Amino acid sequence: MTDLEAEHAALLQFLYACPAGLVEFSAAGAIGMVNPAAMGVLLPIAGRPFIINLFDVMDGCAPELRNMIQQFHLPQGTVCDGHRIVTGRGERSPVLACNIVKLTENRYIATLSDVTAQVARERRLKQAEIWFASLLDGVDDVAVLSLDANGCIDAVTPSAMRQTGFSEAELLGRPFEWFDRPDRASAMPLPGEAIAVARRDGWYLHEGWHALADGGRYWCQRLIAVRDEAAGIAAGYTLVIRAVARQGRDTADLRRMLTLDHLTGASNRAHFFETAERQLVRTLRDGGSLALVVLDVDHFKRVNDEHGHAAGDMVLREVARRCEAELRPEDIFARLGGEEFVVLLPGTALMEASAVAERLRLSLAREPIDAGGVELCITASFGCSSLVREPAASLAGLLAAADSALYRAKGAGRDRVELAHANQAAA
Amino acid sequence: MLSFETISLDTLLTLEADHLDALPFGVVGFSPQGLVEIYNATESQLAGLQRETVLGTHYFSVTAQCMNNFMVAQRFEDEAEIDAIIDYVLTLRMRPTPVRLRLLKAPEIDRRYILIQR
Repeated sequence: MTDLEAEHAALLQFLYACPAGLVEFSAAGAIGMVNPAAMGVLLPIAGRPFIINLFDVMDGCAPELRNMIQQFHLPQGTVCDGHRIVTGRGERSPVLACNIVKLTENRYIATLSDVTAQVARERRLKQAEIWFASLLDGVDDVAVLSLDANGCIDAVTPSAMRQTGFSEAELLGRPFEWFDRPDRASAMPLPGEAIAVARRDGWYLHEGWHALADGGRYWCQRLIAVRDEAAGIAAGYTLVIRAVARQGRDTADLRRMLTLDHLTGASNRAHFFETAERQLVRTLRDGGSLALVVLDVDHFKRVNDEHGHAAGDMVLREVARRCEAELRPEDIFARLGGEEFVVLLPGTALMEASAVAERLRLSLAREPIDAGGVELCITASFGCSSLVREPAASLAGLLAAADSALYRAKGAGRDRVELAHANQAAA
Repeated sequence: MLSFETISLDTLLTLEADHLDALPFGVVGFSPQGLVEIYNATESQLAGLQRETVLGTHYFSVTAQCMNNFMVAQRFEDEAEIDAIIDYVLTLRMRPTPVRLRLLKAPEIDRRYILIQR
């Protein structure tokens, strides 16, 4: 064996043992080289032993990769750094961090590493961080209000008027939640929830949009703490609102990137799972109903094959636009992957969810979609499920039940809505 | 019969080294701790690795991380007895390579085997 051969073998061994996943691929996603660590994470995602294209494997959990690469116009450079990919469905799904570097027009290298444990740690730290930030930062941007036992403002300090621009008269007597200005990307607690949690735990922390007197809004962290607790009954609460400075373009962009799907502007998977999980816990605790609709665009592969990926992308964007237009602000509409979307409907029972799905179905089937000069008749199939109250109820169960209804809708000829069977709904 | 599908654990245990090397498929034998004890010439050639550098190392951490998941490595932990053939993709010399794997484990035998057919 020559020195060169020995060196070659040593290099191979180095790559076999490398603990981070490495993948080299073309602009179309075709995998050239891949090391075992990368294959180790890709195989469970693909669920089948046929891996030749990175975009195909990732289509179910990170469909944005293809778009990110298409839209990266520099001749070389970093396409993404630490891009998070939630690979499964449910709370304990592995999360990958992905870096992609473009080497030439048709050559890219990605690293993939499992950051599941790190993500869990970050989540636990986040609450503590908000708490300390509001304590340690300057008092100038902190407004203090007093709430009565029902959460209505009964006293204000000058700081509250300075921060919000409202006069004392405008603030007094209002439920503090009246000043919430939620948007799709920032789910606010349900009315009464913050007070209920504060009563139970002594405090409640939240980050969200708050109204300004001039009609605008500002991003703030909000702490509600129990005051004057006599005989176990809260007589009132202190509300501390801390304006988060520099909620400028950078932070807004970052928030959008972290919560929205790159292509369609729908919520992304990570944001969906986080919000849905919270909504599920809340519904199980407080009662009420919760429904899920999954939808899958019919014959989408044909659109891509016959009209190209650009046309396919336009179809997905329009599907998302039409669906969002039919939904309420509190509903979460997310892209699960590929041509599959999901709607989370708080406070909605199965039959109402079926009516929503039917409305979405019609909004797609009613008129063709313009996919860059060509009009395409696009339909989708829908599966609905709803929460059945029992200890084993889980988001994964809800999704599985909706998935199997969707499967039946596909089998029965597509362009239709099917409901989960009663005995399946919480499986 | 010394074919990929039919060769038995007992035969693998008793075959001489040169006979193992002559088999047309890769043979990897490892201890309950995962340390490589058998690495035949066919596998050495497919992977581009020298036998001496692989023997004694932990197979699923050093050489075959792509099998270090619930589809392969975990099965050897969870199941008392395995004789299963699965379709798989290895990264031989960093190229994605479709292969068939045969996983072999028996309760009374310490050494486990993975056979690899391209």
